Amino acid sequence: MVSGLFEMKILVCVKQVPESDSSFIIDNLQEWIYKEPLSYKMNRFDESALEEALSIRDRYKSVGLDVLSVGPENSKDIIRRALGMGADAGIHIFCDADRYINPFLTASCIVSYMKDNYYDLIFTGAMSEDYMQGQVGPLAAEMTGLPCVSFVVKQEISPDQKSIYVERELDGGLIESFKLTLPALITIQGGINKPRYPSLSNVLRANRAEIRTINADLDGNTDPKQINSRITIPEKRREGYVLSGSVQEKAAKLIRILSQKAFIT
Amino acid sequence: MRKAVQKLIFIIAEHHENKAKSVVFELAACADKIKRICPAEIKVIILGSETKKLSFEITHTTGLDAVAIEINELALYNAEIYKTVINNLAAELSPSFIIIGHTPRGLDFASGLAVGMKAACITGVEGLSEAEGKICFKRQMFYGKINAHITADSEPVIITVQPGAFEPYKPDNASPGRVETRRVECTPKFIRAKGIRRCKFQDSSISEAKVIVSAGNGIGAKENLDLIYRLAGIFPGSAVGGSRILIDRGWLEYRQQIGLTGAQVAPELYIACGISGASQHLAGMRGSGFVVAINRDPKAAIFNESDVCVVEDIKKFIHVFLEEYGKRGI
Repeated sequence: MVSGLFEMKILVCVKQVPESDSSFIIDNLQEWIYKEPLSYKMNRFDESALEEALSIRDRYKSVGLDVLSVGPENSKDIIRRALGMGADAGIHIFCDADRYINPFLTASCIVSYMKDNYYDLIFTGAMSEDYMQGQVGPLAAEMTGLPCVSFVVKQEISPDQKSIYVERELDGGLIESFKLTLPALITIQGGINKPRYPSLSNVLRANRAEIRTINADLDGNTDPKQINSRITIPEKRREGYVLSGSVQEKAAKLIRILSQKAFIT
Repeated sequence: MRKAVQKLIFIIAEHHENKAKSVVFELAACADKIKRICPAEIKVIILGSETKKLSFEITHTTGLDAVAIEINELALYNAEIYKTVINNLAAELSPSFIIIGHTPRGLDFASGLAVGMKAACITGVEGLSEAEGKICFKRQMFYGKINAHITADSEPVIITVQPGAFEPYKPDNASPGRVETRRVECTPKFIRAKGIRRCKFQDSSISEAKVIVSAGNGIGAKENLDLIYRLAGIFPGSAVGGSRILIDRGWLEYRQQIGLTGAQVAPELYIACGISGASQHLAGMRGSGFVVAINRDPKAAIFNESDVCVVEDIKKFIHVFLEEYGKRGI
């Protein structure tokens, strides 16, 4: 741990997402999915964002690290998980709409909190695993006039705490690097680090911790927005012949198909 | 001169080393599709410190007109400059739609641009249709198991388009579009670009393979990769690939990564093992000839992209498959 004066406040925005092997059932109006049967976890990208922030705190003990989530009541579970991983305080912006919440609304919720609470650095995941929009971070940054770089794979705060050096990943194995003045918002690419497990002492603390809850003001928002008109099951783009029978039968069928197509001899 | 009723569509050209990225021609196809629903003029917007070669390439390939904006400070990409310059151009020309690639680069400025322009922003678009006089954009959600159909309730609309979702727009015998070159000054205040470098290397072996056996998160443990290699071993000219998560974990090398940030492949046979089929992966393999998917989850999105679907546990199935294969001809 580096001693000396390194005062900094970091906010990490996290989201709960359904497990990837969940079954998603479309409601009768074709407007949204039934949320009831789903089990949730912390978005993988956000876990990486939190780990990046925690690694800064490991180096500089006077760094304050808050975690924020916009979502329904059970979002508190991932906030507690984040506290268990080592975050200092949790903020829950309660929003229990049973419909698609577009990224402008989510970002506005975060921004309204940020207006009264100063942070030097804001981390978000590059996208959420369930919506895959990649928008909330960049939107929140622009709404608050902060510089933003997305898909960051490496970061380093300058010793004078006035800027941050980041590297971001492009397609084709290219890396771009930037220097941003602080305060700034960066979105973190998934898989760039190994998110730590909650420690026992932190979990005990997390269970007792009070999570600050704020009600989201969705109706008061008049920003331009997009609406979800309906949701559907994706159409098949290929034949999708489903093999039936026992495992042995399926294997034999696949061998037959592949030899007919001359992929195996 | 644009007719009063005609809308305007901007395509933002992504480029690297003075060459247009292939996604630009797919964005042009998307713009062309919008144009068929509501008559519109299309302009390709090219930003860079040097644009002559790029404008030539793009206007000659697509036949579309281009506005090339040369900015000295843009020798390296900078989100701040992109947002400022496109915002100014949009204020002048009032486009109804701005089409950007759904790439790490495109996503870096699309949403921020939307805030400045007070535009809607819909990312990861894979298709579009007309609904009650508006354009409805289709995008994946929930691990590709659900399609959302999203409309904007106002214009302008910024969309980012998933690579591989539209066939490239390269009309035959198109007469080259006109190029309007402008030069503007723009100095970024908060972001300084420091450089661009290639840190990971792709080789052509995966793109040249006739058969690719590809592994995803569903393979469970690293040891099971052995089964994937054994399965690949029975096909002549085969290679093993994987989805991003296995590369992140260090189980496979970057040159084996298939998808948006990895290789785009089109083998004769693609066997997806334990791959869920999120759009980032599909962007790398949709051109494959014959697709077989093996996944325990019957609702995995990959099955919508497959010719043959095997709903089984990967480990169990490949074991039995190899056993059955070994029995042949005895």
